[in-house]
Amino acid sequence: MFEKFRLGKRGENIIFTIFILMYVAYCLNSPDMSFESFKTVLTIGLSVGIIYGLVALGISLIYTGLDVVNFSHGEFFMIGAFAGLTMFNILGNQDWIFNLFPEAYGWIIYVICLFTAFVSMGLFGVFIERIFLRPLTKKGGGYTVAGMGIIICGFGLSVVLINVAYLIWNPVAKPFPAELGLPMEIGGLFLPITYVWMIFVGLFVAGGLWFFLNKTKMGLGIRAVAFSKDVSNLVGINVPLYISIIFGIACAIAGIGGTLVGPTYQVVVFMGYIILMKAFAAAVVGGFGNLPGAIVGGFTVGIFETASSFYVSGSHKDLYAFLLMIIVLMIKPTGFFGVQVKMKA
Amino acid sequence: MLKVNQLVSGYGTVQILNGANMKVDKQSIVALLGGNGTGKSTILKAASGLIRSWKGTIEFNNEQIQNLPPHEIVARGLVQVTQGKDVFPAMSVTENLRLGGFILKTKQQLKDNLEKVFNYFPRLNERKDQLAATLSGGELQMLCIGRGLMSNPKMIMLDEPSAALAPQIVLDIFKNINRIRKDGLTVLVVEQNVRMALLLADYGYVIKDGVINVEGESKKLMYDESVKESYLGGTKANV
Repeated sequence: MFEKFRLGKRGENIIFTIFILMYVAYCLNSPDMSFESFKTVLTIGLSVGIIYGLVALGISLIYTGLDVVNFSHGEFFMIGAFAGLTMFNILGNQDWIFNLFPEAYGWIIYVICLFTAFVSMGLFGVFIERIFLRPLTKKGGGYTVAGMGIIICGFGLSVVLINVAYLIWNPVAKPFPAELGLPMEIGGLFLPITYVWMIFVGLFVAGGLWFFLNKTKMGLGIRAVAFSKDVSNLVGINVPLYISIIFGIACAIAGIGGTLVGPTYQVVVFMGYIILMKAFAAAVVGGFGNLPGAIVGGFTVGIFETASSFYVSGSHKDLYAFLLMIIVLMIKPTGFFGVQVKMKA
Repeated sequence: MLKVNQLVSGYGTVQILNGANMKVDKQSIVALLGGNGTGKSTILKAASGLIRSWKGTIEFNNEQIQNLPPHEIVARGLVQVTQGKDVFPAMSVTENLRLGGFILKTKQQLKDNLEKVFNYFPRLNERKDQLAATLSGGELQMLCIGRGLMSNPKMIMLDEPSAALAPQIVLDIFKNINRIRKDGLTVLVVEQNVRMALLLADYGYVIKDGVINVEGESKKLMYDESVKESYLGGTKANV
Protein backbone atom coordinates (compact mmCIF):
# COMPACT_ATOMS: atom_id res chain seq x y z
CA MET A 1 0.00 0.00 0.00
CA PHE A 2 2.85 2.32 0.81
CA GLU A 3 4.71 1.31 -2.34
CA LYS A 4 3.46 4.28 -4.32
CA PHE A 5 4.72 6.74 -1.72
CA ARG A 6 8.29 5.65 -2.16
CA LEU A 7 10.54 7.89 -4.12
CA GLY A 8 13.05 6.51 -6.55
CA LYS A 9 16.70 7.43 -6.45
CA ARG A 10 15.91 10.22 -8.86
CA GLY A 11 13.09 11.60 -6.76
CA GLU A 12 15.32 11.63 -3.71
CA ASN A 13 17.97 13.49 -5.64
CA ILE A 14 15.50 16.11 -6.85
CA ILE A 15 14.13 16.79 -3.37
CA PHE A 16 17.63 16.88 -2.05
CA THR A 17 18.76 19.40 -4.62
CA ILE A 18 15.71 21.57 -3.87
CA PHE A 19 16.63 21.56 -0.19
CA ILE A 20 20.21 22.55 -0.88
CA LEU A 21 19.12 25.30 -3.27
CA MET A 22 16.70 26.60 -0.65
CA TYR A 23 19.50 26.65 1.89
CA VAL A 24 21.84 28.48 -0.47
CA ALA A 25 19.08 30.94 -1.38
CA TYR A 26 18.44 31.62 2.28
CA CYS A 27 22.14 32.21 2.83
CA LEU A 28 22.39 34.57 -0.13
CA ASN A 29 19.33 36.42 1.11
CA SER A 30 20.97 37.30 4.41
CA PRO A 31 21.70 40.99 4.96
CA ASP A 32 25.39 40.59 5.76
CA MET A 33 27.28 38.88 2.96
CA SER A 34 30.75 40.41 3.16
CA PHE A 35 33.98 38.44 3.30
CA GLU A 36 34.75 40.13 6.61
CA SER A 37 31.74 38.64 8.33
CA PHE A 38 32.59 35.28 6.81
CA LYS A 39 35.93 35.41 8.63
CA THR A 40 34.10 35.89 11.93
CA VAL A 41 31.80 33.00 11.15
CA LEU A 42 34.75 30.80 10.26
CA THR A 43 36.62 31.61 13.48
CA ILE A 44 33.64 30.98 15.71
CA GLY A 45 32.72 27.88 13.72
CA LEU A 46 36.20 26.41 14.03
CA SER A 47 36.40 27.15 17.74
CA VAL A 48 33.02 25.60 18.46
CA GLY A 49 33.88 22.76 16.10
CA ILE A 50 37.09 21.81 17.86
CA ILE A 51 35.14 21.44 21.12
CA TYR A 52 32.65 19.12 19.44
CA GLY A 53 35.65 17.38 17.89
CA LEU A 54 37.39 16.84 21.23
CA VAL A 55 34.31 15.31 22.83
CA ALA A 56 33.67 13.25 19.68
CA LEU A 57 37.30 12.10 19.86
CA GLY A 58 36.67 10.71 23.33
CA ILE A 59 33.45 9.00 22.25
CA SER A 60 35.19 7.45 19.25
CA LEU A 61 38.16 6.36 21.34
CA ILE A 62 35.91 4.61 23.84
CA TYR A 63 33.93 3.09 20.99
CA THR A 64 37.01 1.64 19.31
CA GLY A 65 38.64 0.50 22.52
CA LEU A 66 35.73 -0.81 24.55
CA ASP A 67 33.12 -1.53 21.83
CA VAL A 68 30.54 0.50 23.75
CA VAL A 69 29.08 3.96 23.29
CA ASN A 70 29.56 6.15 26.34
CA PHE A 71 26.44 8.24 26.92
CA SER A 72 27.86 9.91 30.02
CA HIS A 73 30.69 11.58 28.13
CA GLY A 74 29.04 15.02 28.17
CA GLU A 75 29.09 14.93 31.96
CA PHE A 76 32.84 14.35 32.01
CA PHE A 77 33.04 17.46 29.83
CA MET A 78 30.93 19.40 32.34
CA ILE A 79 32.81 18.18 35.42
CA GLY A 80 36.07 18.95 33.61
CA ALA A 81 34.90 22.54 33.22
CA PHE A 82 34.10 22.71 36.94
CA ALA A 83 37.46 21.20 37.83
CA GLY A 84 39.18 23.90 35.78
CA LEU A 85 37.00 26.59 37.35
CA THR A 86 37.71 25.36 40.87
CA MET A 87 41.42 25.46 40.20
CA PHE A 88 40.99 28.94 38.73
CA ASN A 89 39.21 30.16 41.86
CA ILE A 90 41.95 28.75 44.06
CA LEU A 91 44.78 30.27 42.04
CA GLY A 92 42.98 33.56 41.34
CA ASN A 93 43.49 34.74 44.93
CA GLN A 94 47.19 33.97 45.07
CA ASP A 95 49.16 37.19 44.91
CA TRP A 96 52.55 35.53 44.68
CA ILE A 97 51.84 34.19 41.20
CA PHE A 98 50.91 37.69 40.13
CA ASN A 99 54.10 39.06 41.68
CA LEU A 100 56.17 36.35 40.03
CA PHE A 101 54.73 36.75 36.51
CA PRO A 102 53.04 40.14 36.23
CA GLU A 103 53.00 39.96 32.42
CA ALA A 104 51.63 36.51 31.63
CA TYR A 105 49.70 36.07 34.88
CA GLY A 106 46.35 35.09 33.32
CA TRP A 107 47.86 32.71 30.82
CA ILE A 108 49.88 30.77 33.35
CA ILE A 109 46.87 30.29 35.60
CA TYR A 110 44.77 29.20 32.65
CA VAL A 111 47.31 26.65 31.47
CA ILE A 112 47.46 25.24 35.01
CA CYS A 113 43.65 25.01 34.96
CA LEU A 114 43.72 23.11 31.66
CA PHE A 115 46.32 20.75 33.05
CA THR A 116 44.29 20.23 36.24
CA ALA A 117 41.19 19.41 34.21
CA PHE A 118 43.17 16.97 32.07
CA VAL A 119 44.73 15.08 34.97
CA SER A 120 41.74 15.11 37.32
CA MET A 121 39.32 14.00 34.63
CA GLY A 122 41.71 11.25 33.56
CA LEU A 123 41.84 9.90 37.10
CA PHE A 124 38.10 10.39 37.54
CA GLY A 125 37.46 8.46 34.32
CA VAL A 126 39.62 5.56 35.48
CA PHE A 127 37.79 5.61 38.81
CA ILE A 128 34.34 5.55 37.15
CA GLU A 129 35.41 2.76 34.80
CA ARG A 130 36.81 0.62 37.58
CA ILE A 131 33.99 1.14 40.07
CA PHE A 132 30.87 1.37 37.92
CA LEU A 133 31.52 -0.19 34.52
CA ARG A 134 34.03 -2.99 35.21
CA PRO A 135 31.71 -4.98 37.55
CA LEU A 136 29.23 -5.30 34.68
CA THR A 137 31.75 -7.39 32.77
CA LYS A 138 32.14 -9.92 35.62
CA LYS A 139 29.94 -12.45 33.85
CA GLY A 140 32.69 -12.95 31.30
CA GLY A 141 33.17 -11.89 27.74
CA GLY A 142 34.45 -8.43 28.61
CA TYR A 143 33.02 -5.21 27.26
CA THR A 144 31.99 -6.65 23.92
CA VAL A 145 29.46 -8.96 25.52
CA ALA A 146 28.29 -6.64 28.30
CA GLY A 147 27.72 -3.84 25.77
CA MET A 148 24.03 -3.10 26.26
CA GLY A 149 24.27 -3.11 30.03
CA ILE A 150 27.11 -0.64 29.86
CA ILE A 151 25.21 1.67 27.52
CA ILE A 152 22.26 1.77 29.93
CA CYS A 153 24.71 2.27 32.79
CA GLY A 154 26.08 5.23 30.85
CA PHE A 155 22.64 6.87 30.77
CA GLY A 156 22.31 6.32 34.50
CA LEU A 157 25.78 7.69 35.17
CA SER A 158 24.88 10.77 33.18
CA VAL A 159 21.90 11.50 35.45
CA VAL A 160 23.87 10.71 38.60
CA LEU A 161 26.82 12.89 37.64
CA ILE A 162 24.57 15.84 36.76
CA ASN A 163 22.88 15.59 40.15
CA VAL A 164 26.16 15.24 42.01
CA ALA A 165 27.43 18.35 40.24
CA TYR A 166 24.12 20.06 41.10
CA LEU A 167 24.68 19.29 44.78
CA ILE A 168 28.26 20.51 44.79
CA TRP A 169 28.14 23.56 42.53
CA ASN A 170 24.39 24.42 42.42
CA PRO A 171 22.63 25.14 39.11
CA VAL A 172 23.59 28.80 38.77
CA ALA A 173 25.69 29.51 35.68
CA LYS A 174 29.15 30.56 36.76
CA PRO A 175 31.49 32.89 34.91
CA PHE A 176 35.07 31.79 34.24
CA PRO A 177 36.83 35.15 34.13
CA ALA A 178 40.20 34.08 32.76
CA GLU A 179 42.34 37.14 32.02
CA LEU A 180 43.81 36.36 28.65
CA GLY A 181 44.39 39.84 27.31
CA LEU A 182 42.45 42.13 25.03
CA PRO A 183 39.97 40.87 22.42
CA MET A 184 41.18 40.45 18.85
CA GLU A 185 39.60 42.07 15.86
CA ILE A 186 38.51 39.46 13.33
CA GLY A 187 36.30 40.49 10.45
CA GLY A 188 35.30 43.82 11.94
CA LEU A 189 34.10 42.16 15.13
CA PHE A 190 35.96 42.11 18.41
CA LEU A 191 36.19 38.52 19.55
CA PRO A 192 37.71 37.32 22.82
CA ILE A 193 41.11 35.77 22.25
CA THR A 194 39.78 32.54 23.74
CA TYR A 195 38.18 31.68 20.38
CA VAL A 196 41.58 31.40 18.70
CA TRP A 197 43.11 29.85 21.80
CA MET A 198 40.46 27.10 21.76
CA ILE A 199 41.36 26.13 18.19
CA PHE A 200 45.07 25.94 18.90
CA VAL A 201 44.82 24.02 22.17
CA GLY A 202 42.27 21.67 20.65
CA LEU A 203 44.45 20.90 17.67
CA PHE A 204 47.44 20.50 19.98
CA VAL A 205 45.56 17.95 22.10
CA ALA A 206 44.36 16.07 19.01
CA GLY A 207 47.89 16.07 17.56
CA GLY A 208 49.25 14.91 20.90
CA LEU A 209 46.80 12.02 20.91
CA TRP A 210 47.83 11.08 17.37
CA PHE A 211 51.48 11.11 18.39
CA PHE A 212 50.72 9.09 21.51
CA LEU A 213 48.79 6.44 19.61
CA ASN A 214 51.17 6.09 16.70
CA LYS A 215 54.65 6.69 18.09
CA THR A 216 54.71 5.29 21.62
CA LYS A 217 54.69 1.77 22.93
CA MET A 218 51.61 2.36 25.07
CA GLY A 219 49.82 3.74 22.02
CA LEU A 220 50.70 0.62 20.08
CA GLY A 221 49.19 -1.42 22.90
CA ILE A 222 46.02 0.70 22.85
CA ARG A 223 45.63 0.17 19.11
CA ALA A 224 46.12 -3.56 19.60
CA VAL A 225 43.51 -3.70 22.37
CA ALA A 226 41.12 -1.71 20.16
CA PHE A 227 41.48 -4.31 17.43
CA SER A 228 41.27 -7.53 19.38
CA LYS A 229 41.26 -8.24 23.11
CA ASP A 230 42.12 -11.93 22.65
CA VAL A 231 45.18 -11.41 20.48
CA SER A 232 46.32 -8.57 22.74
CA ASN A 233 46.13 -10.97 25.67
CA LEU A 234 48.27 -13.46 23.81
CA VAL A 235 51.08 -10.99 23.14
CA GLY A 236 51.23 -10.17 26.83
CA ILE A 237 49.31 -6.90 27.07
CA ASN A 238 47.51 -6.32 30.37
CA VAL A 239 44.13 -5.76 28.72
CA PRO A 240 42.05 -4.68 31.78
CA LEU A 241 44.66 -2.02 32.58
CA TYR A 242 44.68 -0.75 29.01
CA ILE A 243 40.89 -0.51 28.94
CA SER A 244 41.10 1.74 32.00
CA ILE A 245 43.77 3.83 30.29
CA ILE A 246 41.64 4.24 27.17
CA PHE A 247 38.65 5.37 29.23
CA GLY A 248 40.84 7.71 31.26
CA ILE A 249 42.36 9.36 28.18
CA ALA A 250 38.95 9.87 26.60
CA CYS A 251 37.64 11.51 29.77
CA ALA A 252 40.76 13.64 30.16
CA ILE A 253 40.29 15.02 26.64
CA ALA A 254 36.65 15.81 27.41
CA GLY A 255 37.80 17.61 30.58
CA ILE A 256 40.19 19.80 28.57
CA GLY A 257 37.29 20.59 26.23
CA GLY A 258 35.19 21.75 29.18
CA THR A 259 37.87 24.06 30.54
CA LEU A 260 38.48 25.46 27.05
CA VAL A 261 34.81 26.37 26.68
CA GLY A 262 34.61 27.91 30.16
CA PRO A 263 36.00 31.43 29.58
CA THR A 264 34.13 31.90 26.30
CA TYR A 265 30.71 30.81 27.48
CA GLN A 266 29.82 29.95 31.06
CA VAL A 267 30.09 26.94 33.28
CA VAL A 268 26.69 25.38 34.01
CA VAL A 269 25.67 22.00 35.38
CA PHE A 270 23.59 21.27 32.29
CA MET A 271 26.21 22.08 29.65
CA GLY A 272 27.13 18.45 29.04
CA TYR A 273 23.92 17.23 27.51
CA ILE A 274 23.74 19.34 24.36
CA ILE A 275 27.49 19.02 23.80
CA LEU A 276 27.14 15.23 23.93
CA MET A 277 24.42 15.31 21.28
CA LYS A 278 26.40 17.63 19.01
CA ALA A 279 29.52 15.53 19.53
CA PHE A 280 27.56 12.46 18.46
CA ALA A 281 26.56 14.31 15.32
CA ALA A 282 30.22 15.20 14.77
CA ALA A 283 31.38 11.63 15.32
CA VAL A 284 28.76 10.29 12.93
CA VAL A 285 29.59 12.89 10.29
CA GLY A 286 33.29 12.04 10.50
CA GLY A 287 32.74 8.29 10.60
CA PHE A 288 31.97 6.66 13.94
CA GLY A 289 35.06 5.21 15.57
CA ASN A 290 37.51 7.06 13.36
CA LEU A 291 39.75 9.45 15.31
CA PRO A 292 40.82 11.96 12.62
CA GLY A 293 37.24 11.74 11.38
CA ALA A 294 36.00 12.92 14.79
CA ILE A 295 38.00 16.16 14.54
CA VAL A 296 37.04 16.75 10.90
CA GLY A 297 33.41 15.99 11.75
CA GLY A 298 33.59 18.42 14.67
CA PHE A 299 34.88 21.20 12.41
CA THR A 300 32.23 20.45 9.80
CA VAL A 301 29.41 20.51 12.33
CA GLY A 302 30.77 23.64 14.03
CA ILE A 303 31.17 25.64 10.82
CA PHE A 304 27.85 24.49 9.38
CA GLU A 305 26.06 25.35 12.60
CA THR A 306 27.64 28.79 12.96
CA ALA A 307 27.20 29.67 9.30
CA SER A 308 23.57 28.56 9.32
CA SER A 309 22.69 30.44 12.47
CA PHE A 310 24.42 33.53 11.08
CA TYR A 311 23.09 33.49 7.52
CA VAL A 312 19.78 31.65 7.83
CA SER A 313 18.28 31.98 11.28
CA GLY A 314 19.84 32.16 14.70
CA SER A 315 16.72 31.11 16.53
CA HIS A 316 17.11 27.43 15.56
CA LYS A 317 20.78 27.09 16.36
CA ASP A 318 20.63 23.59 17.84
CA LEU A 319 18.84 22.17 14.83
CA TYR A 320 21.59 22.48 12.24
CA ALA A 321 24.03 19.93 13.65
CA PHE A 322 21.43 17.18 13.38
CA LEU A 323 20.28 18.40 9.98
CA LEU A 324 23.85 18.02 8.77
CA MET A 325 24.05 14.57 10.36
CA ILE A 326 20.91 13.46 8.53
CA ILE A 327 22.20 14.82 5.23
CA VAL A 328 25.56 13.10 5.60
CA LEU A 329 23.91 9.84 6.57
CA MET A 330 21.75 10.03 3.45
CA ILE A 331 24.69 10.60 1.11
CA LYS A 332 27.38 8.52 2.79
CA PRO A 333 26.06 6.29 5.58
CA THR A 334 29.54 5.53 6.93
CA GLY A 335 30.45 9.20 7.41
CA PHE A 336 33.43 10.93 5.81
CA PHE A 337 36.11 8.51 6.98
CA GLY A 338 33.98 5.48 7.70
CA VAL A 339 36.03 2.30 7.55
CA GLN A 340 35.44 -1.40 7.62
CA VAL A 341 34.49 -2.45 11.10
CA LYS A 342 37.62 -4.32 12.02
CA MET A 343 40.13 -1.91 10.50
CA LYS A 344 39.39 0.63 13.20
CA ALA A 345 41.95 2.48 15.34
CA MET B 1 57.92 -28.53 30.84
CA LEU B 2 54.16 -28.24 30.41
CA LYS B 3 51.99 -30.61 32.37
CA VAL B 4 48.22 -30.73 32.00
CA ASN B 5 46.58 -32.71 34.76
CA GLN B 6 42.90 -33.78 34.76
CA LEU B 7 41.90 -30.55 33.07
CA VAL B 8 38.18 -29.75 32.90
CA SER B 9 37.12 -26.66 31.04
CA GLY B 10 34.72 -25.25 28.46
CA TYR B 11 32.85 -22.21 27.22
CA GLY B 12 30.04 -20.72 29.26
CA THR B 13 28.15 -23.71 30.57
CA VAL B 14 29.28 -26.09 27.83
CA GLN B 15 31.91 -28.47 29.08
CA ILE B 16 34.44 -29.41 26.41
CA LEU B 17 37.35 -30.99 28.26
CA ASN B 18 36.53 -33.90 30.54
CA GLY B 19 39.80 -34.43 32.37
CA ALA B 20 42.60 -34.25 29.83
CA ASN B 21 46.14 -35.31 30.76
CA MET B 22 49.22 -34.51 28.78
CA LYS B 23 52.87 -33.71 29.18
CA VAL B 24 55.35 -31.83 27.02
CA ASP B 25 59.06 -32.44 27.64
CA LYS B 26 61.70 -29.79 27.30
CA GLN B 27 63.02 -29.18 23.78
CA SER B 28 60.59 -31.55 22.15
CA ILE B 29 57.89 -31.15 19.59
CA VAL B 30 54.58 -32.62 20.68
CA ALA B 31 51.60 -32.92 18.37
CA LEU B 32 48.05 -32.67 19.68
CA LEU B 33 45.69 -34.22 17.14
CA GLY B 34 41.98 -34.57 16.86
CA GLY B 35 38.93 -33.82 14.76
CA ASN B 36 36.77 -30.75 14.86
CA GLY B 37 35.22 -29.91 18.22
CA THR B 38 37.19 -32.42 20.27
CA GLY B 39 38.86 -29.83 22.49
CA LYS B 40 42.29 -29.30 20.93
CA SER B 41 42.09 -25.54 20.91
CA THR B 42 40.34 -25.51 24.29
CA ILE B 43 43.45 -27.01 25.90
CA LEU B 44 45.55 -24.25 24.32
CA LYS B 45 43.17 -21.52 25.41
CA ALA B 46 43.08 -22.82 28.96
CA ALA B 47 46.88 -23.03 29.02
CA SER B 48 47.30 -19.47 27.78
CA GLY B 49 44.64 -18.16 30.16
CA LEU B 50 42.03 -17.04 27.65
CA ILE B 51 39.39 -19.24 29.27
CA ARG B 52 39.11 -20.43 32.86
CA SER B 53 40.07 -23.91 33.91
CA TRP B 54 37.23 -25.38 35.94
CA LYS B 55 39.12 -28.24 37.52
CA GLY B 56 42.53 -29.80 37.32
CA THR B 57 45.93 -28.17 37.07
CA ILE B 58 48.26 -26.82 34.40
CA GLU B 59 51.92 -26.71 35.35
CA PHE B 60 54.58 -24.81 33.49
CA ASN B 61 58.18 -25.10 34.72
CA ASN B 62 56.88 -26.73 37.91
CA GLU B 63 54.63 -23.78 38.64
CA GLN B 64 50.85 -23.85 38.55
CA ILE B 65 49.59 -21.40 35.97
CA GLN B 66 45.91 -22.24 35.62
CA ASN B 67 43.61 -19.18 35.85
CA LEU B 68 46.45 -16.67 35.84
CA PRO B 69 45.78 -13.58 33.71
CA PRO B 70 47.04 -14.14 30.14
CA HIS B 71 49.75 -11.48 30.23
CA GLU B 72 51.38 -13.11 33.25
CA ILE B 73 51.47 -16.45 31.46
CA VAL B 74 53.18 -14.76 28.52
CA ALA B 75 55.66 -13.19 30.93
CA ARG B 76 56.50 -16.68 32.25
CA GLY B 77 57.50 -17.73 28.74
CA LEU B 78 54.50 -19.67 27.48
CA VAL B 79 53.18 -18.13 24.27
CA GLN B 80 50.28 -19.20 22.11
CA VAL B 81 50.66 -18.59 18.40
CA THR B 82 47.29 -17.97 16.82
CA GLN B 83 46.15 -18.91 13.37
CA GLY B 84 47.31 -16.65 10.57
CA LYS B 85 44.07 -14.72 10.40
CA ASP B 86 44.60 -13.22 13.86
CA VAL B 87 47.11 -10.51 12.99
CA PHE B 88 46.45 -6.78 13.29
CA PRO B 89 45.57 -5.98 9.67
CA ALA B 90 45.77 -2.19 9.92
CA MET B 91 49.36 -2.28 11.22
CA SER B 92 52.55 -2.92 9.32
CA VAL B 93 54.52 -6.15 9.63
CA THR B 94 57.14 -4.48 11.83
CA GLU B 95 54.46 -3.03 14.12
CA ASN B 96 52.89 -6.48 14.44
CA LEU B 97 56.24 -7.92 15.42
CA ARG B 98 56.90 -5.08 17.85
CA LEU B 99 53.60 -5.92 19.51
CA GLY B 100 54.82 -9.48 19.88
CA GLY B 101 57.73 -8.14 21.90
CA PHE B 102 55.47 -5.96 24.02
CA ILE B 103 56.71 -7.38 27.31
CA LEU B 104 60.39 -6.78 26.46
CA LYS B 105 62.02 -4.13 28.60
CA THR B 106 64.74 -2.63 26.38
CA LYS B 107 64.90 -1.47 22.78
CA GLN B 108 68.04 -3.53 22.20
CA GLN B 109 66.23 -6.78 23.02
CA LEU B 110 63.48 -5.77 20.62
CA LYS B 111 66.01 -5.13 17.87
CA ASP B 112 67.81 -8.43 18.47
CA ASN B 113 64.59 -10.40 18.44
CA LEU B 114 63.42 -8.65 15.29
CA GLU B 115 66.63 -9.74 13.63
CA LYS B 116 66.17 -13.27 14.91
CA VAL B 117 62.66 -13.46 13.45
CA PHE B 118 63.79 -12.04 10.11
CA ASN B 119 66.50 -14.67 10.14
CA TYR B 120 63.90 -17.42 10.48
CA PHE B 121 61.56 -15.84 7.94
CA PRO B 122 63.40 -13.71 5.35
CA ARG B 123 60.08 -13.19 3.57
CA LEU B 124 58.92 -10.98 6.44
CA ASN B 125 62.01 -8.81 6.06
CA GLU B 126 61.09 -8.15 2.45
CA ARG B 127 57.57 -7.16 3.48
CA LYS B 128 58.35 -5.36 6.72
CA ASP B 129 56.76 -2.00 5.84
CA GLN B 130 53.66 -3.48 4.23
CA LEU B 131 50.30 -3.54 5.99
CA ALA B 132 49.62 -6.98 7.40
CA ALA B 133 46.27 -7.03 5.56
CA THR B 134 48.13 -7.29 2.24
CA LEU B 135 50.10 -10.45 3.09
CA SER B 136 49.36 -13.88 1.67
CA GLY B 137 48.14 -16.75 3.82
CA GLY B 138 51.58 -18.29 4.25
CA GLU B 139 53.16 -14.96 5.11
CA LEU B 140 50.45 -14.31 7.68
CA GLN B 141 51.23 -17.62 9.36
CA MET B 142 54.94 -16.74 9.36
CA LEU B 143 54.06 -13.38 10.87
CA CYS B 144 52.08 -15.05 13.63
CA ILE B 145 54.91 -17.44 14.49
CA GLY B 146 57.37 -14.58 14.35
CA ARG B 147 55.20 -12.51 16.65
CA GLY B 148 55.12 -15.41 19.10
CA LEU B 149 58.92 -15.65 19.04
CA MET B 150 59.42 -11.95 19.72
CA SER B 151 58.87 -12.18 23.47
CA ASN B 152 61.73 -14.66 24.10
CA PRO B 153 59.41 -17.52 25.01
CA LYS B 154 60.53 -20.83 26.50
CA MET B 155 57.71 -22.69 24.83
CA ILE B 156 55.33 -21.89 22.00
CA MET B 157 51.96 -23.47 21.29
CA LEU B 158 50.90 -23.38 17.67
CA ASP B 159 47.23 -23.46 16.77
CA GLU B 160 46.91 -25.20 13.39
CA PRO B 161 49.87 -23.68 11.58
CA SER B 162 48.96 -25.56 8.40
CA ALA B 163 45.32 -24.42 8.19
CA ALA B 164 44.32 -23.45 4.66
CA LEU B 165 47.85 -23.36 3.25
CA ALA B 166 49.46 -24.95 0.19
CA PRO B 167 51.51 -28.11 0.94
CA GLN B 168 54.75 -26.43 -0.18
CA ILE B 169 54.27 -23.59 2.31
CA VAL B 170 53.26 -25.99 5.08
CA LEU B 171 56.53 -27.85 4.51
CA ASP B 172 58.46 -24.61 4.69
CA ILE B 173 56.77 -23.57 7.92
CA PHE B 174 57.27 -27.01 9.49
CA LYS B 175 60.96 -26.90 8.62
CA ASN B 176 61.17 -23.59 10.44
CA ILE B 177 59.36 -25.01 13.45
CA ASN B 178 61.99 -27.75 13.56
CA ARG B 179 64.70 -25.09 13.42
CA ILE B 180 63.06 -23.23 16.28
CA ARG B 181 63.10 -26.40 18.34
CA LYS B 182 66.78 -26.98 17.57
CA ASP B 183 67.47 -23.48 18.89
CA GLY B 184 66.19 -24.54 22.29
CA LEU B 185 62.45 -23.95 22.36
CA THR B 186 59.72 -26.39 23.24
CA VAL B 187 56.87 -26.68 20.76
CA LEU B 188 53.32 -27.92 21.07
CA VAL B 189 51.52 -28.21 17.73
CA VAL B 190 47.77 -28.55 17.44
CA GLU B 191 47.02 -29.97 14.03
CA GLN B 192 44.40 -31.42 11.77
CA ASN B 193 47.00 -32.42 9.23
CA VAL B 194 47.88 -35.69 10.97
CA ARG B 195 50.56 -36.97 8.63
CA MET B 196 52.57 -33.76 8.51
CA ALA B 197 52.27 -33.22 12.25
CA LEU B 198 53.47 -36.72 13.08
CA LEU B 199 56.39 -36.39 10.68
CA LEU B 200 57.45 -33.29 12.56
CA ALA B 201 56.72 -34.30 16.14
CA ASP B 202 58.51 -36.59 18.58
CA TYR B 203 55.43 -37.51 20.54
CA GLY B 204 51.74 -37.36 19.80
CA TYR B 205 48.46 -37.15 21.64
CA VAL B 206 45.10 -37.85 20.04
CA ILE B 207 42.19 -36.21 21.76
CA LYS B 208 38.62 -37.40 21.46
CA ASP B 209 35.53 -36.09 23.27
CA GLY B 210 37.61 -34.01 25.64
CA VAL B 211 39.95 -36.74 26.88
CA ILE B 212 43.24 -38.02 25.54
CA ASN B 213 42.35 -41.17 23.63
CA VAL B 214 45.67 -42.41 22.30
CA GLU B 215 49.22 -41.32 22.93
CA GLY B 216 52.65 -42.52 21.94
CA GLU B 217 55.80 -41.98 19.92
CA SER B 218 54.88 -40.34 16.67
CA LYS B 219 56.51 -43.11 14.60
CA LYS B 220 54.28 -45.61 16.33
CA LEU B 221 51.19 -43.46 16.09
CA MET B 222 51.68 -43.06 12.36
CA TYR B 223 50.80 -46.74 11.78
CA ASP B 224 48.35 -47.07 14.62
CA GLU B 225 44.95 -48.30 13.50
CA SER B 226 43.16 -46.67 16.41
CA VAL B 227 44.50 -43.27 15.42
CA LYS B 228 42.89 -43.58 12.06
CA GLU B 229 39.65 -44.62 13.69
CA SER B 230 39.75 -42.00 16.41
CA TYR B 231 40.65 -39.27 14.05
CA LEU B 232 38.51 -40.11 11.09
CA GLY B 233 35.54 -41.52 12.93
CA GLY B 234 36.03 -45.14 11.92
CA THR B 235 36.54 -44.83 8.20
CA LYS B 236 39.74 -46.54 7.12
CA ALA B 237 41.18 -43.86 4.89
CA ASN B 238 44.79 -43.42 3.98
CA VAL B 239 46.04 -41.05 6.63
